[in-house]
Amino acid sequence: MIEVKHISKDFVSPKKYPGLKGAIKGLFSNEKVVKKAVDDISFTIKDGEIVGYIGSNGAGKSTTIKMMTGILAPTDGECLVNSINPSKQRKENAQNIGVVFGQRTQLWWDLPLSESFTILKEIYNVSDEDYKERMEFLNNVLELSEFFDRPVRTLSLGQRMRADLGAALLHNPKVLYLDEPTIGLDLVVKDNIRKAIKEINEKYQTTVILTTHDIGDIEELCSRIIIIDEGKKIYDGSLEALKDTYGTKRKVSMEVKKPEKLKNLDLAGKLGVSLKDCEMEFDKENNLLSVTFDKHKLQVPQVMNAVMDVTEVKDIQIQETELAEIVKEIYNHGLADEAV
Amino acid sequence: MTKKLRIYIPFASNELKRQLAYKGAFYLFIFISLFGAFIQYFLWMAIYGSTDNASLGGLTQNEMIVYVFMVYVTSSMVMITISDWVSEDVVKGMVAMNLIKPIDYRASLISRAMGQAVYRFLVPGVFIWIGLEIYKVKVLGMSVTSITNILLYLVSCIMSFLICVLFDFCFGMVAFFTTYIFGMLMAKEALMSFLTGQLIPLSFFPGIVQKVFDFLPFSSMVYTPVMIYLGKYSGSELYFVLGRQLVWVVILYVLGSIIWKQVTKRLVVLGG
Repeated sequence: MIEVKHISKDFVSPKKYPGLKGAIKGLFSNEKVVKKAVDDISFTIKDGEIVGYIGSNGAGKSTTIKMMTGILAPTDGECLVNSINPSKQRKENAQNIGVVFGQRTQLWWDLPLSESFTILKEIYNVSDEDYKERMEFLNNVLELSEFFDRPVRTLSLGQRMRADLGAALLHNPKVLYLDEPTIGLDLVVKDNIRKAIKEINEKYQTTVILTTHDIGDIEELCSRIIIIDEGKKIYDGSLEALKDTYGTKRKVSMEVKKPEKLKNLDLAGKLGVSLKDCEMEFDKENNLLSVTFDKHKLQVPQVMNAVMDVTEVKDIQIQETELAEIVKEIYNHGLADEAV
Repeated sequence: MTKKLRIYIPFASNELKRQLAYKGAFYLFIFISLFGAFIQYFLWMAIYGSTDNASLGGLTQNEMIVYVFMVYVTSSMVMITISDWVSEDVVKGMVAMNLIKPIDYRASLISRAMGQAVYRFLVPGVFIWIGLEIYKVKVLGMSVTSITNILLYLVSCIMSFLICVLFDFCFGMVAFFTTYIFGMLMAKEALMSFLTGQLIPLSFFPGIVQKVFDFLPFSSMVYTPVMIYLGKYSGSELYFVLGRQLVWVVILYVLGSIIWKQVTKRLVVLGG
């Protein structure tokens, strides 16, 4: 179980001034700028959960992960991973966790991959039996054997990421932290990585905490998501609840025959809703009329009828709001402000 | 304890393998470093040739030859720049990757350094050493260095190595505050080549300066083991210089632990 209690992290850096003059001024000034990267965040994660930790760039995701792994000490608050405080008992904590930072590697760059695994076996004190069993399992899900004897620096990004994931799992950690594990990977590799994470979670009940910008990762893996923005937690709950609460918009796109007839159409007025709940957009090149409306207030046939009253429609497409749209909305407006 | 040590052995053996993986650098290193030793050799020959004194700074011409090459063998073996690795780790944000493992960062660096020291001892250290002994006996007509002196030299070298890496670890911690330490590294190398006696034997300096140098850890890094090898210390003086080395190992170990604790408290990991 992971308990994060009112954790905060401030970064202090010297104040910088613009221009050459500023650079010189900076040499003599002692002013400091304090940036709150993480601001009073609390949550609890149960064993065996897969939690998506998402937020825009610079929201403080990685900083939180780093505090949970014991790399950074929090300025305020406390974090307990299976009742170990990572910043105070870093080595004890490290024995029980696996970490993958998508943009870095923990493997030995100049050596064959097999060597890295042998070192890790020693570092984590994995017995020969366990090592054999784990390697077999990891080989099955991550297919490491095809590049097991090649130096790490010659691996492709996809191979390296699989290798890194394998390395993080060699000692059967109770908690697995993944910081953007699918960054820069092609669709097939992404899919393999996701499958592997899922299998590991199911087989070993490994708790997984994952930060990502890839909505696909979240939809396929996470039962629960935590959204943070500017260091503050703005949403914590199930994926379904998020979709239900915020995914109320529906979009109907229609290709119309006589676009000129649409000029005087006031759809919102005709259907008796406010303009906010029924937005029209027209793409002149393709003669495409898109109507975005609140699905609780209007039905698709109502909208279609209203348009077909005016002109003939050649083609229709209906879209639910995707999770990506919801997340974008939250990043942009902080929609969840209302929910907190 | 043995289990704890076992964790770090792969770091040493891997560094050895890593060094061997780059063959070009391997031969170039031998060539370039030997080049420097021979420049020193010819310089000293010219100096001794132009003076009537039989010995300078307490060293005869023959002893100076041994000094120059033993300094070369010793310093290439014990002076491992781990601060370079620290700075590289800081710049690339790899410190984090070390902190997520249940290992001690300093111990892993020192183990790595040990791997490199073994490598440097094997090539070209030990060959130059043997070559020097043969030259000494056949050409210079000196006697072979006694087993006692060789053993004492090796013991002193081990402590020199620890002093060097422990000091360099403290120095490397600067990288956490300035990120990039290349300039300071160059300055340190230049200063150390003086203070350790690599460039000129410390006995050449005026008495007062020597006293100051005695108080610094640098004289214990290269000068002490080489002078032991030359048999310049005896009796209580020998115990004193070896004891002084041990004291420096302890001081620098404690200092490094304190600095590391402070650094990890205010650590900022770059990138990501």
